[in-house]
Amino acid sequence: MTRLRATLYYGILWLISLCFFAPIGWIVLSSFKTQNEILAMPPKLLFSPTFDNYRALFANDGIFKQIANSVFLSLGAVIVAVVVSFLAAFCFSRFKPRGTDFLMFLLLSIRMLPGPAVILPVFLMYVAFGWKDSHLWLLLFYAMFSIPFSVWILKGFLDGVSTRYDETGLVNGGSWMHIIFKVVLPQVRPGLIAAFIFNLIFVWNEYLFNFIIGGVNTQNIPYALMVGTYSDGGLNWTFISAMTSIYMVLPIVFIFIFQKYLLVGMTFGTVRGEV
Amino acid sequence: MAEIIIDHVTKRFGALAAVDDIDMSFADGEVACLLGPSGCGKTTLMRMLAGLEQPTSGRILFGGKDVTRLPPGKRNVGMVFQYPVMYPTLSVSENLNLPMKYDKSVSPAERQRRVDEVLDVLDMRPMARAFIEDLDIGSRQKVAIGRAVARQSEIVLFDEPTTNMGVNAKLQLIHAFKQVTRRLRQTIVYVTHDQTEAMTLADKIALMKDGKILQYDGPHVLYSQPSTAFGGWFMGNPGMNFIPATRQTGGIASPILAQPLPAPSHLPQGEITIGIRPERVEMSAEPGPGSVPGVLVDQAVGIAGRYLTTVRVDGAKVKVNTAGAPPVGLGDTVHLSVPHARVILFVDGNRVAG
Repeated sequence: MTRLRATLYYGILWLISLCFFAPIGWIVLSSFKTQNEILAMPPKLLFSPTFDNYRALFANDGIFKQIANSVFLSLGAVIVAVVVSFLAAFCFSRFKPRGTDFLMFLLLSIRMLPGPAVILPVFLMYVAFGWKDSHLWLLLFYAMFSIPFSVWILKGFLDGVSTRYDETGLVNGGSWMHIIFKVVLPQVRPGLIAAFIFNLIFVWNEYLFNFIIGGVNTQNIPYALMVGTYSDGGLNWTFISAMTSIYMVLPIVFIFIFQKYLLVGMTFGTVRGEV
Repeated sequence: MAEIIIDHVTKRFGALAAVDDIDMSFADGEVACLLGPSGCGKTTLMRMLAGLEQPTSGRILFGGKDVTRLPPGKRNVGMVFQYPVMYPTLSVSENLNLPMKYDKSVSPAERQRRVDEVLDVLDMRPMARAFIEDLDIGSRQKVAIGRAVARQSEIVLFDEPTTNMGVNAKLQLIHAFKQVTRRLRQTIVYVTHDQTEAMTLADKIALMKDGKILQYDGPHVLYSQPSTAFGGWFMGNPGMNFIPATRQTGGIASPILAQPLPAPSHLPQGEITIGIRPERVEMSAEPGPGSVPGVLVDQAVGIAGRYLTTVRVDGAKVKVNTAGAPPVGLGDTVHLSVPHARVILFVDGNRVAG
């Protein structure tokens, strides 16, 4: 009886998982089909795979630069954001400067603001300072957008690390640097990884600002997808499927590597042990 | 030489003065206990010695050097906390070694020698390679003590190190502490709210209340001659009896005194109480010279098989601590006598005579 029930549960879970996975499976399979096979009705499950779509995709020189831009911008922005946020959150958590609560609210309010609402001022600012189409300034913009969330999540984790670690370290002759990086940092690793993954996904998927304040040099994969989709008049399904398949790789790799930390991270540090 | 001088130190948290103008010194090589109830400021005082808190005013000097503004790492003090915090992934000897690694003046050979010495003193040689995660809390705390003394700083601070321990671990730790202090003559300040611990470990005890030091004396002086009624009540189990007394022509009269006590030559104005330790009160079934009658209202077996009884004498309740069982049953009459030599006279809570 219980065996039957367990089998039933697993059956349902598999069914639900497959429903969620179906679009991904469809797009990946499609990337190995010809345009006609993709649009065939009923869908063809048996076909002879072809690499023509990828060949066509990489025949365009621009694509390598766009992938490189995506990787550089997202990893760069997220690393900058996580380092800055960790130090800021440590300061908020430990030294509690005057107005900490207000500053934390201010940070959160940046997050509440929808991106499109600030497009015009940001665009004008970037044009006025001559920052448009620059990797550095676009990277810093993304970092700026990633910092508030990271500070919040990391402050939650750091508050969970007792100050007795800091004090023991200080009294035993450790410097602040030693305490921050050798004593406290290892204990908030799940928070750092969660912040890293969440922001990575955000920047990786970012299209709007890349389009507005980026330029020819900084085009990323979402930009390429957007432009390439309609490039031959109709919907270019072979391009979409091949590009999307490549597009998915980096987040999937990172999530796969760090999945054991993600659950702790997504519960925002509420699952944590002391000492 | 590392005499600790606390020069008019005050620490305020908002309106509350956690440490209120304390001015005292701990002698070099001495084990001093800061004893007091929770919230009396003893931990705050210790944290200021360690440099984890800044005094609102006043100075702290170690061996004549002003350290008030020095960060904790530069003060060269060892400290053992309530909760032992170690690197869980390092072994015992690595944990002992680590703080010295950052001190360039200590050579690797000297470090190893000190670690070995500490392991010997603490009797932890077989555990040197064990990982912290595998130790119980008592052993961890022993390692913490070892780490604090291995640096051979001249001052070692202990912040209620036995609070979170079982009875057995506590005794082991106290034993370890004794061995360490006997071998290495460091100036030690030990914070505790446990009077037994303070009496056992300290050369001198500083009794604290409400941010002030009431008395700083050897354990036995503190016990037999408390300078304040609070000291008499806080030390001892149970604490001292306090019985109201009045000033009369013949001296000081009280319900439990058969004869009035001769009044000291200059008795200040104020409310008079007499204090007597429960174990100093004599109790018998028959009236004797200088005894007063009372009714036995409560009895219990106290520490070490001694009997603890409460006797009502003319409206006053007197606790009596005797070696044998009380001579009469509950509700019956007993006769108490209070030796005048053992009586301490308090006026407004301060000792004036006895």
